[in-house]
Amino acid sequence: MKPALFDQELVVVTGKGGVGKSVVAAALGTLLADDKRVLVLEVDPRENVHQLFGVPPSGGEFVELGPRLFLQNLKPGQVIDQLVEEKLKFKRLVKRVLESPIYRHFAESAPGLEEMAVLGHALRALRGVSPKAPRVDAVVLDAPATGHGVSLLAAPLLVGEVIQHGPIGGLTRQVSKLVADAGRSGIVVVTLAEEMPATEAIELRAMLAARLDRAPDLLVVNGLYPPTTGALGADRASRLWARRRQLNERELGRLRREWPEPSVELPLLPLDRGEELVAELTAALRQQLVDGKSG
Amino acid sequence: MSLDRLLAPLVVVVGGGGVGKTTLAAALGLRSAEEGADTLVMTFDPSLRLKDTLGVGEEARDHEVTVASDTPGRLEASLLDAGATFNRLIERYSPDQQAKERILSNRYYHHLSGGLSGILEYMAVERLFEVSIAGDYGRVILDTPPTREALDFLEAPDRVIDFLDSGVLKVALKDWFTAEGRLKPAARFGALGRRFERLLDDLVGLELLRDMAEFFQAFGPLYAGFKDRADRVRSLLQSDETLFVLVAGPGEEEVPDLLFFARRLAESGHRVGPIVVNRVHPRFERRSGGEVDAADGVELLAWLGERDHAGLAALRELLSAEQPLAALPLMSEAPTDLGGLSELAEELVGRLRS
Ligand SMILES: Nc1ncnc2c1ncn2[C@@H]1O[C@H](COP(=O)(O)OP(=O)(O)OP(=O)(O)O)[C@@H](O)[C@H]1O
Ligand SMILES: [Mg+2]
Repeated sequence: MKPALFDQELVVVTGKGGVGKSVVAAALGTLLADDKRVLVLEVDPRENVHQLFGVPPSGGEFVELGPRLFLQNLKPGQVIDQLVEEKLKFKRLVKRVLESPIYRHFAESAPGLEEMAVLGHALRALRGVSPKAPRVDAVVLDAPATGHGVSLLAAPLLVGEVIQHGPIGGLTRQVSKLVADAGRSGIVVVTLAEEMPATEAIELRAMLAARLDRAPDLLVVNGLYPPTTGALGADRASRLWARRRQLNERELGRLRREWPEPSVELPLLPLDRGEELVAELTAALRQQLVDGKSG
Repeated sequence: MSLDRLLAPLVVVVGGGGVGKTTLAAALGLRSAEEGADTLVMTFDPSLRLKDTLGVGEEARDHEVTVASDTPGRLEASLLDAGATFNRLIERYSPDQQAKERILSNRYYHHLSGGLSGILEYMAVERLFEVSIAGDYGRVILDTPPTREALDFLEAPDRVIDFLDSGVLKVALKDWFTAEGRLKPAARFGALGRRFERLLDDLVGLELLRDMAEFFQAFGPLYAGFKDRADRVRSLLQSDETLFVLVAGPGEEEVPDLLFFARRLAESGHRVGPIVVNRVHPRFERRSGGEVDAADGVELLAWLGERDHAGLAALRELLSAEQPLAALPLMSEAPTDLGGLSELAEELVGRLRS
């Protein structure tokens, strides 16, 4: 059965640093764009998702990658400033507010506000209300590493406690609804089948339940060494392969025991960061999620 | 070769997430104790396995625990707890009990101590400073939190100071709210003021603003002590006492970040010690000359080995000849006991020499 991901509006891809979140977000975005309009949204000042699609950096703008696929690298501050601009009609006043140190300071350090802004931006793209952005049917969010991924999803709750009205209050309510609704938003956890990342993934799952009362929709186990074949040599390379795969299998076993929700497995590929890698991983996801050969 | 020629009394192990900093810090700590120095390893978020290896559990959170290493020097380990360190700072610099309680019970402080970017990193250096002035150890090795970018760690003291610094603090120290809880300047500016107040309320919520103003007011008397301390922390990091060990993953993609970081460290007056490229795939002969068969682990490993060594070669090319550089091979498993850690250190030191 196809996971709920295919019908969700917002898919948040999270996991420990360096496990392949960006690559998986790119592949998943590509897969979902088979039959709807999808925005891959990167929230990382060190822009790198563009490399995965072989295009120049987005620099905050929408980049059209294909007939239904878009990419944007988002600076959270951008969204809050835009709300101020929309709220205050007078240009001069806007400038004064945006440049005032009090505003800058409060907007940057108010807990949860930046994260809220990211989710708010996704929601606005789904509604097609962003003036400079096309409307999309789904947003795949390449979220920051683990702990921050949960903070991101918890932000609407936090912000909702202190801001009840005005444009942010309204947006916060809408985003809270989106994030709480398992039919509309989904969480994808990416991990490697190695001890530390797997442990963190399992902790992340518990954190999602405790803080958000949500279960992840999909676990992506990335970077797996290929299964060993019967006739394995006794040379060093073959022995290392066998040991790495064994380690993978041990952690896969642990994950299977502690992770009741669906999961997919992606191979470690002899490819550098780039389009070909994304294409291969998209194919692997398609095979397991759409053609139903799930592990 | 003795570590004394390679390392300073204070060693800060820095690098991106998931590159093996914590394990390497522990290995260096063990080696240091083996060579007779009383050594403390301050780790951050170690794996269960490493905790078992060192024999440190939750009781090591914010406390030093002796590792049963049976070495000439004593080896102790602790887990960093940013919240506890921050609380201790507040206690130390509060003029009186009341001031302390006002801060510790402030809602905004809780957000801050848990979440402000840079606080975690700052508290790590702060802890290093605490331990170094206590002077109980011949060597202290600090593992650092996984940062988005390794530079975050270095900039943390400045960022925290900036945050607490005059501009914002002076603004915040003004009596912003009237007795009725209205924004004072807003009350003065009539219609425009009310509008500004509403805008701020919409944006961040007046309630939160009140918490923040209260926090900064309560923090005022602590500020001088805090800032002085942060300045001393910064000088310590730049002194001859301290050496940075850079750890990175293999592959050419990592080279630019690593070089950039090494350069930034040096430019800002820090001493760059050994650079360690960790988890380098060994080199193997390809079975065939054609396209790499991804289903064949031997072929895949050969490709990974090529990739990693190309990255290393590119790095060597760009580093000065004097820069110590060690490439550590990907091991079949992380060390599971002190013997394994000791071997890892041996391997590291050996490779640094050649
Ligand atoms: N299945 C795979 N096969 C081969 N290489 C991979 C695979 N998955 C990821 N990589 C490579 O691993 C590196 C890290 O991947 P990626 O940038 O997606 O991680 P991330 O989780 O987004 O990292 P960060 O936390 O830094 O954002 C990249 O160089 C990528 O090309
Ligand atoms: Mg990424």
